Amino acid sequence: MKSTRKPAALVLVGALTTGALAACSGGSDPQDESTNSAGQVTLSVVSLLPGSTEEAVAAFEDQVAEFEKANPDIDVQPEEYEWKATTFAAQLAGGTLPDVFEIPFTDAQGLVENGQLADMDAQFRALPYADQFNPTILEAGTGADGHVYAIPAKNAYPVALHYNRALFESAGLDPDQPPTTWEEVREDAKKIADANPGVAGFATMTQNNTGGWQLTAQTVARGGRTVETDADQKATATLDNAGTKEALQFLHDLRWEDESMGGNFLLDWGSINQEFAAGQVGMFTSGSDIYTSLVQTNAVDPDTYGLAPIPLSDTPEAATLTGGTLAGVPANVDDGVKDAAMKWIDFFYLNKLVDEDRAVADAETLAKNDQPVGTPVLPMFSKEQYEQNQEWIADYVNVPLDQMTAFTDAMFDLPLAGEPSQKTQEVYALLDPVVQAVLTDENADIDALLADANTQAQALLDQG
Amino acid sequence: MTVTTTPPRGDVAAPTRAAGTGRPRRGPASWWRGGGLHSLVFLLPLLVIFGVFSWFPIVRAVIMSVQETNLVTDPTFVGLDNFRHVLADPLLWKAVQNTLYFAFLALLFGYPVPLVAAVLMREVRRARGLYSALAYLPVVVPPVVAVLLWKFFYKGGPTGVFNTVLGWVGLGPYPWLQDASWAMPSLVLAATWAGAGGTVIIYLAALTSVPAELYDAAEVDGAGLWRKIWHVTLPQLRGVLFITLILQVIGTAQVFLEPYLFTGGGPNNATVTVLLLIYRYAFQNSLGGDYGAATALSLMLAAVLAVFSVLYFRLTRSWSTS
Amino acid sequence: MTLSPTDRPRPAPTARRRPAADDGDRGALSAPDWRRPAVRWGMGGTHVLLLVLLVVVGLGPMLLLAKYAVTPTQDILRTPMALFPHGVAWENLERAWNDVQISRYFMNTVWLALGSWASQIVVATTGGYALSVLRPRYGRVVQALVLSTMFVPAVVLLVPLYLTILDPPLLGRSLVDSFWAVWLPAGASAFNVLLVQRFFDNLPREVFEAARVDGAGPYRLFWSVVLPMSKPILGVVSVFAVIAAWKDFLWPLLVLKDPAIQPLSVRLPAIEASTDLGVFLASLAIATVLPVAMFLVFQRLFLRGAGLGGAVKG
Repeated sequence: MKSTRKPAALVLVGALTTGALAACSGGSDPQDESTNSAGQVTLSVVSLLPGSTEEAVAAFEDQVAEFEKANPDIDVQPEEYEWKATTFAAQLAGGTLPDVFEIPFTDAQGLVENGQLADMDAQFRALPYADQFNPTILEAGTGADGHVYAIPAKNAYPVALHYNRALFESAGLDPDQPPTTWEEVREDAKKIADANPGVAGFATMTQNNTGGWQLTAQTVARGGRTVETDADQKATATLDNAGTKEALQFLHDLRWEDESMGGNFLLDWGSINQEFAAGQVGMFTSGSDIYTSLVQTNAVDPDTYGLAPIPLSDTPEAATLTGGTLAGVPANVDDGVKDAAMKWIDFFYLNKLVDEDRAVADAETLAKNDQPVGTPVLPMFSKEQYEQNQEWIADYVNVPLDQMTAFTDAMFDLPLAGEPSQKTQEVYALLDPVVQAVLTDENADIDALLADANTQAQALLDQG
Repeated sequence: MTVTTTPPRGDVAAPTRAAGTGRPRRGPASWWRGGGLHSLVFLLPLLVIFGVFSWFPIVRAVIMSVQETNLVTDPTFVGLDNFRHVLADPLLWKAVQNTLYFAFLALLFGYPVPLVAAVLMREVRRARGLYSALAYLPVVVPPVVAVLLWKFFYKGGPTGVFNTVLGWVGLGPYPWLQDASWAMPSLVLAATWAGAGGTVIIYLAALTSVPAELYDAAEVDGAGLWRKIWHVTLPQLRGVLFITLILQVIGTAQVFLEPYLFTGGGPNNATVTVLLLIYRYAFQNSLGGDYGAATALSLMLAAVLAVFSVLYFRLTRSWSTS
Repeated sequence: MTLSPTDRPRPAPTARRRPAADDGDRGALSAPDWRRPAVRWGMGGTHVLLLVLLVVVGLGPMLLLAKYAVTPTQDILRTPMALFPHGVAWENLERAWNDVQISRYFMNTVWLALGSWASQIVVATTGGYALSVLRPRYGRVVQALVLSTMFVPAVVLLVPLYLTILDPPLLGRSLVDSFWAVWLPAGASAFNVLLVQRFFDNLPREVFEAARVDGAGPYRLFWSVVLPMSKPILGVVSVFAVIAAWKDFLWPLLVLKDPAIQPLSVRLPAIEASTDLGVFLASLAIATVLPVAMFLVFQRLFLRGAGLGGAVKG
């Protein structure tokens, strides 16, 4: 039944195949998102974490409606979003990020170098309060050319100690007297764990780079540094510094001598929040602003929440690690989208910090939907401006500020230290297994683990 | 099945005629009249789908394995650097060990248990359907649900589900996923729970087709139960046993779901498998993936698995024709 | 990766097994064996034990899941095995249905399975028909190329296929966040093509000739003769296609980033850390109920498909 002529068939198949190949190898042209002829802009923005409560969604939708009313030519499409080191790259490569997305301070420089963030300098400079930003915070999103690419937006926070007041009481501890030294943390953790079988007195993150992040925070609090950068931006890995060793030994002792860290050692940012909100964790360290998401996604009982500064060792280098979130825009959008994005960033993240009317309106919307108002963060601008803002919204503050006084009384006097600036997330990723090893292997050799991780970190840093 | 309507083209019987003459005629016109276009029309979905989503990506994998590419900057040719880089990664050997360990445990748990269960169930005379249904039930649970459920069961500390139950008989609490040496067996246990039912049913189907005459003949020779199982049942199952063995090896070499969802590769990389490592190379770095390293490693894994695939193909071919 | 080991027409094993389930049915033990008390009690006891084990292992976890679906979170956390010490939390189910919107992700899963099924059926039947019945000259080359993909494990495709989906030929737009990103690659299953082709090979040629003599063209022959004769093999391909789509995790995880179109397998892990444990377990329970119910209703079909799976695939 061979009725077809081979050459003709081969030519056709060949044509099809090469056509497909040619089309495939055409490279990854960015899909340009653009404004349509009527001047209407569709702008996708970060909404909330996946799985947020109905009230949180309602509050967000109110804000979107208000924005669209003021900007009838912009159609806002909210997209739920959680920045995770382990999923962000696929979203970036896949072009599935919203037009306004959030990134941590640590990643902005790398994204700018790779040309993956839109240059927002012109739009940013047009903001009336552009020159009022705290310069160190603004620096995180500024490229080597001095242009602003990512805008300090959602928050800037110091790492703090979060604790469960109910668990403190159950262990006979005074919830208004949170621990101020690591030794007290250890004692309180033991008491909490003893009084509540299965509950972790103290827990720490270990997965998706957060293990390295929190180990770094606990290192800095003990006066250590995981990476030293000299004047020429030459970075040296110092993962085996005394502070990190002390921090790991502390975790080891709680885990194996006191058995006060519960039974779950595979936790990341989201899952430790979840365990904490469920009353399974007595104390843990994380950014000072997580109360908002504890309410929005984990429905934490406000009465049980307590916030204190991370304990600092008695050395001059001991400091509180800071971090924060920037808002970025993909590199391939047109000016119409960039303008719209800046309007949204101004509306949703920033203007409410500097404008009394906006501050009050925003707080009103949130409070109406039972969303947290007044969670303590670092001032994006000046301390005076921050306090002014707190006065504006004082009537709407609904977070249990009196349970956070240990933190708020001290927050402006805390010695602060920024995160390492090079290959930050990759070095964090190297530290995850180290923290896991200490928590899951009683005989883990801390010195050897750190020496090994340090070699790998140095190799990463030397790649430049 | 007679078709009475006139076909749109008068010459569709041409292929038969052409075949009858032994040689097809030449020239595009005759190709057209000979139904060449129809063949192409029917092959089009296959050619397009395979071309775009199978053949081209395979070629692309080979190309990418000798390039440095992260989708951001233009790819550059780097020769075998990606392979060297991967082979020098201390985590690779850990991942290979872990994957072999997973495969070994999966065979240890997942191979004899379904066989014994199936042989026993074959002898059930009443309500065999109930046995089959119960054995198969876990297979019906969506795999992701199964993993997330077991992850909850495995909760460490005294208030975990398994630890509570074991506590009743004075055992534990065990760390399950929270210990480098416990984590992998825990993963395999859950995977076996989710998959063993399918294997049981496969064996049971094979057992049903063991000819009764063979047992009759064995009994004439005075064989007892154990000898009948040893000399009749198991030899008859040989083909199926081989197939499930090789398929299990090929499947476990690409295990991803369990380590990804249960432990994320932890604790201390104790459950990082080769496929999880490939995933990490490609998708984990928040500033852009190392796609060259990922494809290089996947090609190396493919080379190893191709050996098993060929073995499998030969075995099943000879088995099914015999 | 799946491989076809079979050169035989598919209906044979089923046909052979069916009568075996009747009076000719026997295992290693004969009727006289069963009359011996030692066998009777020994094997009988073993069977009871087996049944108990199967209930505990097969049904137990699902009963527990059903219990947790309606247990208050704090009870789940503190006393997981206690029987409702603080009452029943029916609101878990309600919140899973309304807040987590399990029904939507369930429907997404169904759509993904249906589309993948359609894509596989179209490619396998048209391709199999062309290769088996129309047999163009270049057919052998195509067949060899199809066959060769069976020796390439799926993992090789992961990254390059992902990049192809980001920038597919001729389309000019990324397929990420569209069902097509899952449907189209699903069609490239060499296993299905070969399975169908082998089945077509074994269809009686005389029927084709008769149809041709009656004036049927290749399209009519395909639609009115070959397809109706292929129901058994289409059933097998369908079962495998739907099950594979149902179980798929890594691929949808990569290409379906938009929560609105994610299947359960991608959505459930994503909300694990942000959903109250009781509500989360209720979501898992709801996600399990429908497949289990389908299984109980179509038990025979499932088990036959699974048994067949051993004969062809595993």
